[in-house]
Amino acid sequence: MSSDTSAEREGWLELLSKSFGRSFWLFVAVAAATAGICYAVLGPDAFASVVERNGDLMADLLPRVAAAQVVAGFVWVLLPRDRMSQFMKNNRGKRGLVLATLAGSVTPGGPASAFPLLAILAGTGADRGILVAYITSWALLGIQRIIVWDIPLMGIDFSMLRLLIGLPLPIIAGMVARRLPFSVTLEISPPPEGGPR
Amino acid sequence: MNDLGALILYGGALVLGVVALARRDASFRRGLRRALEQSINLLPRMIFALIAAGFIVKLIPTEVIVGYLGAESGFKGILIGSLTGLIVPSGPAVAFAIAAAFALEGASVPALVSFLTGWSVFAAHRVLIFEIPLLGAHFVRLRMLSVTALPIIAGTAAMLITSF
Repeated sequence: MSSDTSAEREGWLELLSKSFGRSFWLFVAVAAATAGICYAVLGPDAFASVVERNGDLMADLLPRVAAAQVVAGFVWVLLPRDRMSQFMKNNRGKRGLVLATLAGSVTPGGPASAFPLLAILAGTGADRGILVAYITSWALLGIQRIIVWDIPLMGIDFSMLRLLIGLPLPIIAGMVARRLPFSVTLEISPPPEGGPR
Repeated sequence: MNDLGALILYGGALVLGVVALARRDASFRRGLRRALEQSINLLPRMIFALIAAGFIVKLIPTEVIVGYLGAESGFKGILIGSLTGLIVPSGPAVAFAIAAAFALEGASVPALVSFLTGWSVFAAHRVLIFEIPLLGAHFVRLRMLSVTALPIIAGTAAMLITSF
């Protein structure tokens, strides 16, 4: 038993060292640099207004990200991933891209919910075309965003034009993704305790 | 929007939690554990990406850019619209507010379509905050290359449609 717990502790330590790894410090450096430029170019008042807005944004976003991770965690555990994988294998053609586009456009919520779902989709063995089509469709054709932002701010005519033009784009992106000649290693962390893949 | 999105998320977490508990196996604990793992993976980078995005939005010279997006701008407007979409690292509230401001200042429809398409597919904050931590740099490179042409295609289609 004791070897199990020490392996577990190592797993958590590895996770921590990864999340505070090199790319974390890169993010810190970019944040510091943009903050410095903003202060130098636009002055202390503009700087203070951004700090305040950032605070509001985080207070709004962090609880939502936490909730989204809980949703994604449960989906990950509850979803019959074996059957999903089979479904994905059976839909590798154009039909898969169309289905992915439909799924992306009806996925509600912001990136906090869409990207964890994308990671789960990747975990089921969906091919790269489906992954790219899904997230492109969510970004371009997300119905919730069109209703909430596009129509009120840009008007119905413009929104419908943009929607019409956007319809084939996720499928095009998925087809391009399938043809790009390089290998893609996905960084999907496997579930703990060696449960079902 | 925030309320609807939040409602779906919190409601979803609650419902799925109950379903996981009802299974009476390790599902509930394993689900929460995965959530914790992914949060540890995501949050440190996310917080600093958010900070950077806030400052970058403030630094974008929207007044200068709109001068290049007018009705006479044609294909150049589509290109500049696409590129501008690329540098707005913020959510729909800011992106659509910028688009509406561009529209008021007389930006052409194709340029606006390119801008919103470019922002939708490239939005740098999403890449930094969610995509790199959750899916890795390889996937980001693949997706970026796959969608590079989309803002141009969308703007050109808009130009053809609106010219009738």
